[in-house]
Amino acid sequence: MSASEKAHRASGTGTEAPDTGGEPAAKPTGERPPEKRPFLLDFFPLQGEEATRLARFYERLREGRLSTTRCRVDGDLHWPPRVACPRCHGEDLEWLDLPESGRIYAFSAVLGAAPLGMESDVPYAVGLIDLDGAPLRLFGRIEGRPWSALAIGDRVAVEPYEVGDGRVFYRFRALDA
Amino acid sequence: MSARAVALVGGVTTPFGVRPTTWAEMAQEIGAALFRAVPALRTEDVDSLFVGAAEPERFAFQSHVAPLVAEQMGLRPRRILQRTELACASGQSAIRSAYAAIAAGLSDVAVAVGIEKMNLPSMAEANTSMVCVMDRPWDGPGGATAPPFFAMVAQRHMREYGTTEEQLAAVSEKNHRFANANPHAQFHAKSFPRAKLRGLPLVAPPLRLGDCSSMTDGAAAVVLVADDRARIYTDRPAWIRGTGQYSDFHNLAHAGELSRWPGLTAAAGEAFRSAGVGPEQIDFAELHDCFSISEIVEYEALGFCAPGEGGRFVEDGRSDLGGDVVVNPRGGLLGCGHPLGATGIAQAVEVHDQFARRVPPARQVPDPEWALVHNLSGSANVHSVMIYQAGGAA
Repeated sequence: MSASEKAHRASGTGTEAPDTGGEPAAKPTGERPPEKRPFLLDFFPLQGEEATRLARFYERLREGRLSTTRCRVDGDLHWPPRVACPRCHGEDLEWLDLPESGRIYAFSAVLGAAPLGMESDVPYAVGLIDLDGAPLRLFGRIEGRPWSALAIGDRVAVEPYEVGDGRVFYRFRALDA
Repeated sequence: MSARAVALVGGVTTPFGVRPTTWAEMAQEIGAALFRAVPALRTEDVDSLFVGAAEPERFAFQSHVAPLVAEQMGLRPRRILQRTELACASGQSAIRSAYAAIAAGLSDVAVAVGIEKMNLPSMAEANTSMVCVMDRPWDGPGGATAPPFFAMVAQRHMREYGTTEEQLAAVSEKNHRFANANPHAQFHAKSFPRAKLRGLPLVAPPLRLGDCSSMTDGAAAVVLVADDRARIYTDRPAWIRGTGQYSDFHNLAHAGELSRWPGLTAAAGEAFRSAGVGPEQIDFAELHDCFSISEIVEYEALGFCAPGEGGRFVEDGRSDLGGDVVVNPRGGLLGCGHPLGATGIAQAVEVHDQFARRVPPARQVPDPEWALVHNLSGSANVHSVMIYQAGGAA
């Protein structure tokens, strides 16, 4: 294995056998506890209550609702959702569902140079979306149409989706005019 | 504006490019080069060291880099030793920290060094590191990297002001032409006429390969001293006359209208006020052209031209030699490459070398007195500006 292949393997998910510098790898003893899934190099956040005070966001997303927090004191609408208000610094926040559609304010696409785990997504479109009736402009993937067929002002729907390991996230889907 | 004036008395860069060397080896290399470039500088003179490094944890699997760099450079800082991390603006952050320390009397002679090693065997891993600059758990899953963000800036600027792809290419052509006169530039030996630039593949539409700065390995260092020490090291000091910095967002949801950068106008306003000059006095500027569109938006935010006129400004040669203000005579990030932490330091090295008439004639600004340097970070989240004046007394 070349040096670059070794480095590439070392950058992966950690599921390969450890590099022993050309010596045969030690035989598995079967006594070691299973390794925890590596968290770094994974863009998707840990979403359970043991990991984040914003687990509610992901629970609601799993129900198909994109939501965020609003300060009960000064009415400040946040993005992303927060645990403390950046305006009054109070912690009395409430959850609020966001509109399910919006319009493209700006967009582009990644045609190369993708991060780990996204290489097979290329080409993918991304954009900033003005949500209908809410003073928020959210960044995310735009699915459903190639980037070359998108235009500023096009309508999109908010689309929660499963990442594939129980976790969820959100993206946008281009709607027919 | 400060208790003591501060002078930049020398500086140097390593070659920029895809370097067959490690992060720490570049620290040794830039140390050796610095002591050659500033012959009067002795190891024991340097009381403080500021290390601009964006992502050594990700690119070199190394944290706690300040003492590592001190050891690699053969320095034993006895006053202030620290790393400054501000992504792509880590370099100017190191210089501003050194400036503040000297102005406050906490340091007399400080080195600011920037180092980045970005080319890894797996470039997907390097691209992953670039996503970490963003608000990773929120903007990362969408695949946010710098090219699509600045592409959206270009898209909005084109829509609102009629800026053209030809004008983007004019920025890249100019900066690559200056880089042809900079032997340390990553693209020193490559020619990029506009027709060739317009034919390069799209990276993030409307931006093409030649509109984007590259992943680069490199280091740069400068020496900053208190007013009464300047003449020990040079008869051509570059005096820091003003500086400003502003940050108004991080998450992409708060990027505003994209086509204007009020944060840069705010940072520059503070820098101009503290220096007592305006944009019309600036003879040359090192601007953060991480992408061609960035330089166009920056002309406007800095007041070199009116909002919306940046494309015409470069197309008419007003940012070229012989124009209103020479922008990026070093070759810019587009021509030199962009080793994150080293970029802001290399920009300051160019200021010193221009003032000292030490650069090749093809990029020498005639009789420069005032220079402005702009270093931004991430998706234009933080803008840092410094203003230098050539020669004369403190």
